[in-house]
This record gives sequence, C-alpha cells and structure tokens, in this order.
Amino acid sequence: MIQFNGVTKDYDNLTALRDISFSIEKGEMAFVTGPSGSGKTTLLKLIYFAEKPDKGTISVAGWDAEQLKESSIPYLRRNIGVVFQDFRLLQNKNVFENVAMALRIRGISEKEIKAKVYDTLKAVNLRHKADIYPRRLSGGEQQRVVISRAIVAEPAVVLADEPTGNLDPDTAEGVMKTFKEINAKGTTILIATHNRELYRNSGRKVIRLDMGTLVAEEVG
Amino acid sequence: MTLTPYAFKLALQSMFRERWINLLSVLTIASGLLIISLALFLVYNVDAATKNLPEKFSLILYLDRGIQKERVDAVIGALRKNSAVSAVRYISKDEAMRELKTVLKNSSYVFEGLDENPLPDALELKLKKESVGQESVKRLADDVLKIKGVKEVDYAEKFLSTLNNLRVGMKTIGLILIISLATGIIFVCYSTVKILFYRRNEEIETFKLLGATKWFIRTPFLIEGAVIGTSGGIISLVGIFAFYYVVLLRLSVSMPIFKIILFPAEMFLVLPFVGLFLGVTGAAIALGRLKY
Repeated sequence: MIQFNGVTKDYDNLTALRDISFSIEKGEMAFVTGPSGSGKTTLLKLIYFAEKPDKGTISVAGWDAEQLKESSIPYLRRNIGVVFQDFRLLQNKNVFENVAMALRIRGISEKEIKAKVYDTLKAVNLRHKADIYPRRLSGGEQQRVVISRAIVAEPAVVLADEPTGNLDPDTAEGVMKTFKEINAKGTTILIATHNRELYRNSGRKVIRLDMGTLVAEEVG
Repeated sequence: MTLTPYAFKLALQSMFRERWINLLSVLTIASGLLIISLALFLVYNVDAATKNLPEKFSLILYLDRGIQKERVDAVIGALRKNSAVSAVRYISKDEAMRELKTVLKNSSYVFEGLDENPLPDALELKLKKESVGQESVKRLADDVLKIKGVKEVDYAEKFLSTLNNLRVGMKTIGLILIISLATGIIFVCYSTVKILFYRRNEEIETFKLLGATKWFIRTPFLIEGAVIGTSGGIISLVGIFAFYYVVLLRLSVSMPIFKIILFPAEMFLVLPFVGLFLGVTGAAIALGRLKY
C-alpha cells in the first residue's frame, strides 16, 4: 500500500530524510517513531504529497510519485485520511461541517453526507457535539473530530501525526481504540509518534527514525 | 468549474464574513461604472445632437458665365448620377441676386451703380448623410470641378472639420475613459479576490490536503467576483437612472435647455452584465496568478 525506495528529502542545506526504504502492506497498522526532528512529519508529508522527494521513489495506493501529475494530487489525497498534528480544524465551521468537508470535496450528495457524518461522529462518541464550534471542544474532542474527518470517506490509508500528543492517558487510549477498530475494517494505518506506550507489545511494525535516517524496522 | 450549491454557500459565507472589503469593492466598482455611464451618456447626446447637422450641409457649384441651358441640364444630369448626391437645385443668377437683395435689404446701397448682375448661375448640391465627411466631400468637390461648365466649388470646409473633430474628440475621450475605468474595475476585483484568498489561506490549505481540486477552491472566488461586479453594476444602474430622473428632469423644469437631453435607458440596462463580466475577469486573473 505504501512503498518508499531510497527516498531522500532536503530542506535547503538540511537533510530531513536520507535514503529511506520501507513498505507497509494493505490492511497493516504500523508506527513511525523517533525523537523530535527525526523526520516523522516529513515522512507523512511525502506520503500525502505535501512534499516531493529529492531522490528515490514513493508509491501510495497504486499512485507513483514520479509519474503523478499536479492535477492528480487531489484524487490521490482522497485515498488518504490525515490526522494532522495541529488538527487543521476550520474554526468558522462547526463539528458537522468540519467532518462533512472531506465528503463535500468529493461531490457527495447532501443526504449521503448527513448519514455518513452522523454515523462517524457516533462512532467517536461526538454525535451530541455536531453543532459545536471547535474552539469550544477539549483537546481530546478536537482530536476525535480530526479522526472523524480522516475516516469519514473511508480512505484506503489513514495517516496520524502524533495523534495522542496532547491527550491524557485515558483519552489517548480511546483514540488508539478507534484506530484499531478502523484498522480491523481493513484500512491501512500509519501512526507517527514518539510515545513508546502506543506501540509497545503491540505486535505491529515500528519504523524507527533518527536524524532523518531509518535506524530500525522492528516489531513493537 | 464546479458550480455546486456548496460553492455558492462558501461564496456567500465569505461575502458575509468579509462584508466590509466586499462592500468597499462594490462601491468602487459602482463609482467606476457610473462614471463610464455618464461618459457614454454625454457621447450619446453629442452624437445625437450632431447627427442631423449633415442634412443642412450643401455644396455650391458656380457655373461658367453665359452657360447654355443644355449645358446646365447636362451638368445636373451628371451630378444626379453621382451616388453621394441626394438633390440638385438650380439657382439662376437672377434668383441669386433676389436672394442676395433679401439678405442685404438693410444695406441696399451696395447694389447702387450695378448695371448688370455680376453673379454667376449656380447649382446647390445636397448630399446623402453618409457622404458628408471631410475626405469624401473634398473628393466630390475635385470630381465635380472636372465637369465641363463648372467653374468653382464652394462649401463650408471649416464646418466639416469642426464637426469631424468634435465627434472624433468625444469618442476618443469616451473610449479612453471607458478603457481606463474598465481596467481599474478589473484591478479592483483582482485585488479584492487576492486579499480574500490570502485571508483564507489556512482554510484553503486544509481543503487542498483533504483532496479538494483547484476548481473546488476557485469557484467560490469566481462567484464572489461575479457578485461583487454585478452588485456594482446594479448600483451604477440605479445611480444613472436617479441622475436622469431625479436631477436632470427636475432641472429641466427650471432650465428648459435640459429638455433636449436624450436618455438611452436600454443602453444602460446592460450595466449589471458589464459588472458581472469585469468582476469575473478580475477574479479569474487573480486566481490564475496565484500559486497553489
């Protein structure tokens, strides 16, 4: 589902990722870990084509980065749901509208949008907060709205960047439970985190980065 | 372009959120279009006022002294064949003298001592309206001088050049004004859309990351440009009608000179569409130049 072959990414004179190769199979749930500044976020950005690699090849859900035209990027992104580290919630839209946005850009009918958004919000226990604006939600609730937006269109891949970074242990556990449920339905999930508790004894693939280099690929 | 109901909803939400920027743009566009309308109004009236002047224009052909009646008929026949000529009137030297005496009845002493009529026989040519132009009249005058029996041609050369200069001048000023103001209006729409775009940069970035196409992002801005332009057009339309019906018509009561002013109402009904076109053009240029 996700394949990196010798990928290098530079920002001016700084190398963010160097010669990275790994693959994640369809339906797999994996983790990318490493200290702050190790290149986790850059790796995710390369997957959803917010950045282009300077060297190497990337393939995601059958789309090849080298052959991908600029105009095709939106269609590739529709196969990927992203849980952003900074949430990226639209502050002038309520919870329902934030989640619905992922469907509106796909041109889905209003009737279908309503059904899918309420189903997804129910799954993350936020159905009762549909009309609330993001600034009135707690960090954990905002995180769950972002997860809802990432999964509502049932993408093939879900990427999560530090999804439990600002959450208390109980809420973090709830968020991870949601990811496991989504994964159980066949969605490929890649989570970037520096929290070892999330992948310890999970039996999942863990890609360890340090200073932009892949130092280990192991089972957590 | 994806003209979905949601694109209209996004455009309306943005217009409400950024109502002051939008209002300012609408008023600027309305002012520009109103000035264009006033310029057109003036050009239209000058054109209408000068349109009938060519009908009063004529050429006088002075014939050879002692010309025979047959020769005069031949000259008239030749002139009538000319496509620029609408009417030919023969003025005998006696008739010319009678007309002159009528004109100079208060200065009859100028005729004292005249033993014989010094005036020549003449022909007055009226031209078709479309043939009254500086160049075409000069060409005609040269042509008729070649007809045997015609000695001299006289016409109001200065009148023609003044009329020509007035029309060309008014049209040129009108055109310059229209082009510069239309460019200004496009620039206002361009700047407005660019400002609105940058103010929503974060939102747009999120749309892109969620998989929105360029047109999903662009269409609400185009709609916004269209609404701004059309609103400006409607306000200028109201403005020009108010100017005529409230100001000019009231003035004409105390100053009858204003009664001769013509108001081409149907010409101004296109103003909202002109606004729409300029608004969409400005927005399209702005979106085309944005890198995203």
